[in-house]
Amino acid sequence: MSLGFILAQCLGALSQAAVLFFIACGLTLIFGIMRIINFAHGAIFMLGAYVGFTIVAVTGSFLLSLLLAPIVVGGLGMAFERVFLRHLYGRRDGGAYLLLTFGLAVVLSEVIRVIWGAQPRASGIPDFLRGIVVIVEQPFPLYRLFLIAAGLAAALAVWQFLERTRAGLLIRAVSQNAEMVHALGTDVALVRTAVFGLGCAMAALGGVLAAPLVTAFLGMGTTVVIDAFVIVIIGGMGSFLGSLIGSVLVGFVQVLGAYYFQDLALAFMYFLMLIVLVIRPGGLLGRED
Amino acid sequence: MPLLECKGLVRRFGALVAVDAVDMSLEAGRIRAVIGPNGAGKSTMFNLITSVLKPSAGEVIFAGENITGLPVHAVALKGIARTFQLCHVFPALTARENVRIAAQAREHQRWRFIGGRHVVTRSAAAADEALEHLRLTRLANVRAALLSHGDQRLLEVAMAIAQKPRLLMLDEPTQGLSLEETDRTVEVLKSMLGAGNLSVLLVEHDMEVVFKLAHDITVLHRGRVIADGSPAAVKANTAARSAYLGGTE
Amino acid sequence: MSRNVSFALTVGICMLLPFMVPQYSLTVLIEALIFGLFAMSLDLLVGYCRLYSFGHAAAYGLGAYSAALILTRLLLPLPIGIVLAVLVTTLVAIPIAWICTRSTGVSFAMLTLAFAQLGYAMLFRFRDITGGSDGIVGIPRPPGPLGMTWFQGKTGYYYLVLGCLIGSYLLCRAIVRSPFGAVLAGIRENEAKTIALGYNTRAYKIATVVLAHGFGALAGALYAAFAGFASPELFFWLVSGRVLIMVVVGGAGTLIGPILGGVFFVFLEHELSEITDLWPLIFGSVFMTFVMFAPQGIWGILTRRSNPGAELPGAGNETSDAAA
Repeated sequence: MSLGFILAQCLGALSQAAVLFFIACGLTLIFGIMRIINFAHGAIFMLGAYVGFTIVAVTGSFLLSLLLAPIVVGGLGMAFERVFLRHLYGRRDGGAYLLLTFGLAVVLSEVIRVIWGAQPRASGIPDFLRGIVVIVEQPFPLYRLFLIAAGLAAALAVWQFLERTRAGLLIRAVSQNAEMVHALGTDVALVRTAVFGLGCAMAALGGVLAAPLVTAFLGMGTTVVIDAFVIVIIGGMGSFLGSLIGSVLVGFVQVLGAYYFQDLALAFMYFLMLIVLVIRPGGLLGRED
Repeated sequence: MPLLECKGLVRRFGALVAVDAVDMSLEAGRIRAVIGPNGAGKSTMFNLITSVLKPSAGEVIFAGENITGLPVHAVALKGIARTFQLCHVFPALTARENVRIAAQAREHQRWRFIGGRHVVTRSAAAADEALEHLRLTRLANVRAALLSHGDQRLLEVAMAIAQKPRLLMLDEPTQGLSLEETDRTVEVLKSMLGAGNLSVLLVEHDMEVVFKLAHDITVLHRGRVIADGSPAAVKANTAARSAYLGGTE
Repeated sequence: MSRNVSFALTVGICMLLPFMVPQYSLTVLIEALIFGLFAMSLDLLVGYCRLYSFGHAAAYGLGAYSAALILTRLLLPLPIGIVLAVLVTTLVAIPIAWICTRSTGVSFAMLTLAFAQLGYAMLFRFRDITGGSDGIVGIPRPPGPLGMTWFQGKTGYYYLVLGCLIGSYLLCRAIVRSPFGAVLAGIRENEAKTIALGYNTRAYKIATVVLAHGFGALAGALYAAFAGFASPELFFWLVSGRVLIMVVVGGAGTLIGPILGGVFFVFLEHELSEITDLWPLIFGSVFMTFVMFAPQGIWGILTRRSNPGAELPGAGNETSDAAA
């Protein structure tokens, strides 16, 4: 096993982690604000992929899809939160959230099937990102390097947003103690809507980025929501940094699994999930309330 | 031999020591009240005894058996019934069904998923008895969620006594109760003690109730026992007075 | 008393249906009853324990594939094959239940989903046994024991399914009225309190998951032998989704509600799919509406409940002592 090979594997893991990060970050931010796991997050990721596909098909520009798809999907997410999720605040039964976001996942899947059909849709890797880069005598897809760069950029942006901006401070405050912030005069409901939208936008961006590699296909949401859930549990529910670290960890685990267990890689991922939940069965109690 | 013995119980939450080397014992057939200001560690003590929390150090001995760290349901089956500070009932079920499920816990065939009619009938009878004791019979068919706060607390006590426990642990049972309801609770406890075979550990803020009922009192302050003895002795204890009795409540 | 009368009437009508409807409707009817059974099996978890499983397709799929393998490879009589399929699935469900019940809420849902996905993936991995994406075809209905063949025709099979549904319903009803069932109500209402009373709630939850898998497997096995084939779609997460929708919309915690939900879902699907391609979308939206505004479901509304499982069937809560 040459150094080049190992390096290539690591970069592959990091590119995997980058896509996962987009989804997991949104999921954990939403949890931090709303104390719910958005089960539809995988379907939203999928929606992003399909919307991105259409934007590319219509405009021919990958960059435009990177910009527009998150805005469109993020907007839809905010509408969903305003119209539906809001009604459930204060309900004794936490199951209602679960069922509602599950229902959303089902509805989104069906909408996608109706609009785009059952066949996978591929717009392929955009020309300017096509190609192979040779790193230490190992070929490595340029697009994957782009993914890593995109992931890093996003991580940096979100981090700075949370730490440096007023809005970010507000978000952190609400996730710590919503009542206090409300008492200080802030419209907490607005913050929730905005964060839900942001989380959806990030997931959609992940979908747009992932689509050229895996194509947009029905069912890409289910696997990914489980991965994101595992990441959020590992990293700590509501922790941005945790979602970053968790994504990297899971990215490496997945690549390792694919290498050593080949077609059992899927099973390997689920075993990881089982192990994580067995060690931390409380899951949602990982965060101090 | 005391029915319940706590030896050197310690519980830490990070840097905070909620319970600090507490020794306490309860003799069978007696009522011991645990009093102290808010945050003194009373509910934590209860949680340690019933295994809801595991102690950082120390032991809990019940009827000569070391029950430290046993699963919560196992501790309950040893004969310890408790009520909670924040009232815990089954909201959508009727009052009678609430108590029946409590009474059913003692039945050996409570796991039966086919038949088991006799188990249901027996526990229903025990439930009616407990409801009668607390004069809640007229509310038997009302859903617990619809009961007043006072009635819910009384319901919880009914559930506890339906378990026919050897040790009854009541966490602020009279909180929010009217005078009449408080008297009812005191009456029930006294009559059950009179009947024998019951011991009570009581967390209370209402000093009248404490002095009416308790044989022994433990005073906790910041997780430590600062006084322990008969009501008269504790009343006379200056440390207790300054920390709690003489202070605000 | 009137409850039992209407029950007897319904059963009576169901028994006469094969003579009242055309043969092709009978096919839909059989599928509807099978789905009703499948939905009822999930109600034990969702309605009585408030454990939301997103992977109940696993029970269905396991039952179907077990039956498929047993009937095609071993050529055992149909009834025995079905019973064995249920037993196999129940055994497999025990470790699954043990793992899943370590958590509650979302974690439980994710774990159940993960198992169903795992099952789905395994089908493709072991394609020698399972036939991969083609599945197992040509499932027979071998006669016996004692030379019985009445279930080999469509009408006969209808009675088989009806019998299984009624039998399972009566069994489930007995279960929820038993001491065990009362503990499930306690777990649903306040698990911490139930534990504090002295119940090992974990064990009860494991048992319920296993039971739910058993009844779900019965539905799956009946389906496999009816359709004549078993394919990987049976494990797909949308199957878990559909059955969950049926339970909630039908009325969680009532047993009858989910059965009706399942039956009507199949009929509506049959009718609507002729008219429009959008029917899954409609169902999803209807589901979300119910979750938000009518969580007690259709049957819950009809029997005027405001909370699933509000009236616990048990001693002292009914004025008449209904036969179990």
